[in-house]
Amino acid sequence: MAAAGSLTSSSIAATPRNVLALRLAVAVFVLCVWEGLSRSGLFYGEVIPSLLAIFASMGKLLIDPIFWRNLQVTMVETVASLAIGAGFGITVGIVLGANRFLMRAFEPVVYYLSPTPRIILFPVMIMWFGVGPASKIALGALSAFFAIALSTAAGMRQIDPILIRVGRSFRANVWQMAFKIYLPAMRVPILNGIRLGMGTAIITVLLGETKLSNQGLGYMIMQVYTRFDMPGLYALLMLVFILAGAVNALIGHSARD
Amino acid sequence: MSISEKPPLAQEPALVVDDVVKRFGRGTEIVTAVDHVSFSVQQGEFVSVIGPSGCGKSTLFNIIGGLLSEYEGAVKIGEERISAPHPAVGMVFQEESTFPWRTVIDNVAFPLELQGVAKSERMDRAHHFIDMVGLASFEKAFPSQLSGGMKQRVSIARTLVSQPKILLMDEPFAALDEQTRLLLGDKITQIQQELNQTTLLITHNLTEAVQLSDRIVVMTYRPGQVKRIVDINLPRPRTSDVVGSDAFGHYVAEIWNDLREEASRGMADSESAASRRAAHG
Repeated sequence: MAAAGSLTSSSIAATPRNVLALRLAVAVFVLCVWEGLSRSGLFYGEVIPSLLAIFASMGKLLIDPIFWRNLQVTMVETVASLAIGAGFGITVGIVLGANRFLMRAFEPVVYYLSPTPRIILFPVMIMWFGVGPASKIALGALSAFFAIALSTAAGMRQIDPILIRVGRSFRANVWQMAFKIYLPAMRVPILNGIRLGMGTAIITVLLGETKLSNQGLGYMIMQVYTRFDMPGLYALLMLVFILAGAVNALIGHSARD
Repeated sequence: MSISEKPPLAQEPALVVDDVVKRFGRGTEIVTAVDHVSFSVQQGEFVSVIGPSGCGKSTLFNIIGGLLSEYEGAVKIGEERISAPHPAVGMVFQEESTFPWRTVIDNVAFPLELQGVAKSERMDRAHHFIDMVGLASFEKAFPSQLSGGMKQRVSIARTLVSQPKILLMDEPFAALDEQTRLLLGDKITQIQQELNQTTLLITHNLTEAVQLSDRIVVMTYRPGQVKRIVDINLPRPRTSDVVGSDAFGHYVAEIWNDLREEASRGMADSESAASRRAAHG
């Protein structure tokens, strides 16, 4: 607890070791408080279950084929919505970034629509695509689209114009300009857009699954909740967080120079 | 764009700039950047165009490079009037222009990649020109790991690899310090003599122009016209040692005489523009 106690002090150097120590200290602190609250009897029944119960549930989940099947459904839905959202998003982003007229006409629309809650369109998606994975994929793709389109358009505009002139001076054709200059120059902003898009795609897919669905992790969370299996619920949530964080870290890593 | 079928004669100039005029703007705001400029570059010759800022040098560079397609008069290679980037002209830009995501060798191989040259041949040829600019041990490095002078050498190798008939450079050393500039000048002279490379250099640097050139085209301040063309009869092969010779000093003094007037007109112009801005602000 020493590190947490001296948070305001500037004398601690931000070395990787100290950073790790601080993180561990905070984690241990949170776990201790949790376990303390759980045992204090202040809360009704299993609202805050013991850590032991949660980890036991997590162990059971990890060997439960139902969990893996639902995980697979959610992953397929997320990847599919990301692929569709990225396909449309990158295309629209390039068009907006390349054309000043279209950019002025449509970028504010994309910009101001992007933070609106897509989940309100869920009923429409259900009508169009049914209660199965397709409606979640459609909604996820829609939410990923905005982040990716905006990020691609911004990336397009920040390309150093001299690189375009070099391409022209070597008489690159349209495809060579696109694949050898524009896209590599936009790699980092596009990957950042995909990372943001994936975040919203996961959120939207899970949200859709909790609303109306018959499979997927979101559906499973609601199932566990209706059974009031609190250790199972927390175990499931932790696994979802860990998975989403890991995928995010992976994309973030590839977006670095 | 029609490609001339007649092979050029040996005596025919590599490049002819014939009465080129370029105006920018419209109505009362028209600025004549290049005003009836004519000169030619012979095969194997090193010509510099020198002038103060605002003499239309960069406009001329873009016209000859084919990046500015609308102009009056003609820039000709053989019988062909340039109105788009021409395969015979290889451009080196003033700005740092290497691709940051490519290694040195992949940067240099870029034009060959566009032409669809097979990978092994591409690497061989890129290697040859990297070696020529003295960066053999940096082939696998990324531009971010190189100094400014090294990056410009990568750009020069990248342009040379496509073996252009005419090497067209726009102040490639403008951002470098004087010592690096002199040493790179040696490198350029050496390469030019090795390849018998026809070269047109756009510059505002007097010593650089005299050090490297066979002929210097002196431009006037706005509108950019040819004030004089000076033959530089310094011995070849040449090195930067020439900078210390009497003849060198003589050429520099002579051209400076022409240039001073133009440069001071340019300075007066930008000062009066600045005082107008200050008065309005």
